[in-house]
Amino acid sequence: MLLYVHQSSCISPQQTFGAKDLDSLQPAVNNAFRIIEPSYEGIPTGILRRMGKAVRMGTGAALPLLRNRATPVDGIIIGTANGGMEDCIKFLNQIIEYQEGMLTPTNFVQSTTNAIASQIGLMTSNRNYNITHVQRGLAFENALLDAAMLAADHKAQSFLVGGVDEISAYNYNIDLLDGWFKQETITGNDLYSYDTPGSIAGEGCAMFLVNSHPDEAVACIKAVEIIHSSDPAWVAAALDRFLLHHLGTQQPAVFMSGEDGDSRLHAFYQACESKMNAQASVLRFKHMTGEYATVSAIAVWIACQIIDSAHIPTHMVKRSGGGRTNSVLIYNCHKEQQHSFILLEAVRP
Amino acid sequence: MSRIFVTGMGAISAIGNSVAGNRAALIEGRTGIGPLRQFNTRYADLLPFGEVEISTASLADKLSAHEPGLTRTSLLALHAFEEAVADAGWDEAIVQSSDTALIGANTVGGMCLTDELYRDANSREAGSPYLASYDAASVNLYLQKRFGLTGIINTINTACSSSANAIAYGARLIQHGFAKRAIVGGTDSLAKFTINGFNALHILSAKPCAPFDQDRNGLNLGEGAAFIILENETALKERKTYAILSGHANSNDAFHPSSISDEGEGPYRSMKGALELAALRPGDISFINAHGTGTENNDLTESRAMLRLFEKVPPFASTKSNTGHTLGAAGALEAVFSILNLYHQEIYPAQNWQQPIPETGLRPVHAYQQLPLQHVMSNSFGFGGNCTSLVFSAC
Amino acid sequence: MNNTDTEQLKQQLKQQIVTFLNLINVKPEDIKDDEPLFGSGLGLDSIDSLELIVLLSREYGINIQDPKEGRKVLVDINTIADYIQKHRTK
Repeated sequence: MLLYVHQSSCISPQQTFGAKDLDSLQPAVNNAFRIIEPSYEGIPTGILRRMGKAVRMGTGAALPLLRNRATPVDGIIIGTANGGMEDCIKFLNQIIEYQEGMLTPTNFVQSTTNAIASQIGLMTSNRNYNITHVQRGLAFENALLDAAMLAADHKAQSFLVGGVDEISAYNYNIDLLDGWFKQETITGNDLYSYDTPGSIAGEGCAMFLVNSHPDEAVACIKAVEIIHSSDPAWVAAALDRFLLHHLGTQQPAVFMSGEDGDSRLHAFYQACESKMNAQASVLRFKHMTGEYATVSAIAVWIACQIIDSAHIPTHMVKRSGGGRTNSVLIYNCHKEQQHSFILLEAVRP
Repeated sequence: MSRIFVTGMGAISAIGNSVAGNRAALIEGRTGIGPLRQFNTRYADLLPFGEVEISTASLADKLSAHEPGLTRTSLLALHAFEEAVADAGWDEAIVQSSDTALIGANTVGGMCLTDELYRDANSREAGSPYLASYDAASVNLYLQKRFGLTGIINTINTACSSSANAIAYGARLIQHGFAKRAIVGGTDSLAKFTINGFNALHILSAKPCAPFDQDRNGLNLGEGAAFIILENETALKERKTYAILSGHANSNDAFHPSSISDEGEGPYRSMKGALELAALRPGDISFINAHGTGTENNDLTESRAMLRLFEKVPPFASTKSNTGHTLGAAGALEAVFSILNLYHQEIYPAQNWQQPIPETGLRPVHAYQQLPLQHVMSNSFGFGGNCTSLVFSAC
Repeated sequence: MNNTDTEQLKQQLKQQIVTFLNLINVKPEDIKDDEPLFGSGLGLDSIDSLELIVLLSREYGINIQDPKEGRKVLVDINTIADYIQKHRTK
């Protein structure tokens, strides 16, 4: 597969929207990496008032890429594990509080997972392909695969593809009870220094305008691999095959590890990192984003910045390699069961 | 596009626990719409629903599925999954092959357990066994573990068109060489979440729904699951084939979060797009399994879209009058019914229909008929304007 | 009911509408008594009308079952206030 990234946009806990600054690090607050919310100037207040955070940030990140286009994009493809969970819990609370009595529908309508993609379609009057992938930790990866298939079938077309998830009281509490967040106070880089289970909650969104044309592209997404397994050896073997198939005897210039401080995932990340030789720089990013199901979307956005600027923020570096930045391999593991490899390459030599 | 064959089917709904059971009910015009027996909600006796007869505990026993945290949504999916895989005659090696994809769809996931979810979302103490079971992906993650699947796995949620999109996605994975075969479909169980959500929108009917009737006044929620098996041409020699998936298209109505535009722009485009991909003309369609929910808005706008696209609207009906609206399962369940239409050359009557909608004058098929069918279209339209149409063709 | 009571009810209703519908950049005093709530004017839509029916139920004990009936009531602040005065149970 080949997908060329032409424009991108990212709303995250770091300074990624508007004036970008990846070198200075915004710390976590109360053990969560929450997004820096922009003012959403492009969204009419009559519409904004109904939006939960996921719909707001998804739409807010997408609109700058869709405005001023001569033709509408040919598809809106969103990956999200939970969509508008904030509204979901509000509606749930209504059901219990009013004992299934007279309830207000807005929370219900906004809580459906497809509300982000459909709101973007609605606001841009886009009647083309519109879909929402929800395979939890591989929702964004499936969105990329979908976009790649569309781009291959329709050479003249362009697509919006993105990943969005929010921290809501609901999913935060449930994941906390399920042991996915640390009890220790975490602020940022210290995330990797604990040998305990759990990571730190995060949220965010990244959107990409993609097609099959390399001209003027920022980067190329060369391959995406989707793996379900709870065996580190299986994942490592899959990485061997992936590297051989897509890079031959070469190594990626940069290996971006989704390492998130969760001791239960060390074996997976270790097994994959060990496949990299000294030429590959090893980077980490979860101290910028926190952990959530579609965080790989922001990882792809960061990879595009690194490829485009040939600059690596120092706080990301776990191990320096050969100094090249022309290819990035992202490995991410979600909750011990879902894994992905995403390979990006520079378009210009 | 290279041809995609349907080689297996599985279905469970309010009208039957198997594909054969569903077909028998459709032929007889038997509906599964009535008061709730299993599911507890204050609307149990106030509104009719399409509830699957088997209790959650009996389903678990029948399927030997007693893993902690298993929800009714997943059990319904497992039931249909096993039937479809057995019907295709697949052995374990095929199921576990890295060339076998699983593409599912649902809208409520484990939120059928609304009360457990409420406690888990608000508790500071120990959680329930369902902590990892609430999201839509939990269904396929369970099937993946249970059967040791290694191919591409995905879940789609585009509201009521979810599983129609799952079917299309599976077909595209095969055509692009990401899989050789795919198990595609969807599931949903009744949930306070959806019952109260649709009720808050005032679109649940207090009577059995009457799709395309002048006096229709809303839908009945149902539950169920369906999977179909898609394979490329190489499977042909080994297996029976039910039908060819010849066209699919996805379009957005871009009009309103919970209703379709007056002229049915999204439905028109999805039907037109599916015809174009199948290289068919409107006149080639022998029958339409309409979305036909029985709401004022859907049936009128779907009718208008059909009138726009078809010079002469082909015979059509909605099986939601039998099963209720099974949301994330609807696209797949109705794909099974469309394939049955073709395979047995028969069409199933709409229930509860009496008078055409005055604005359109369209009359759905309201008696069982056997007739030659070559291409059947199945429509699924959802909240958020997500419209998808599929076209199946006789082999 | 005298004019002062009616005025108070209208003020209260405007505040409730702004809060309930989460209207951004709209102050209660911005809403005119005879300004249409739907279409032009405030620009509310069909989902808002369902929200307002719930508002009338929760705040005034008025149960409108049929959304079509709701559309006749939910025209502007005057029509809603009038309906509340005639039908309120709390």
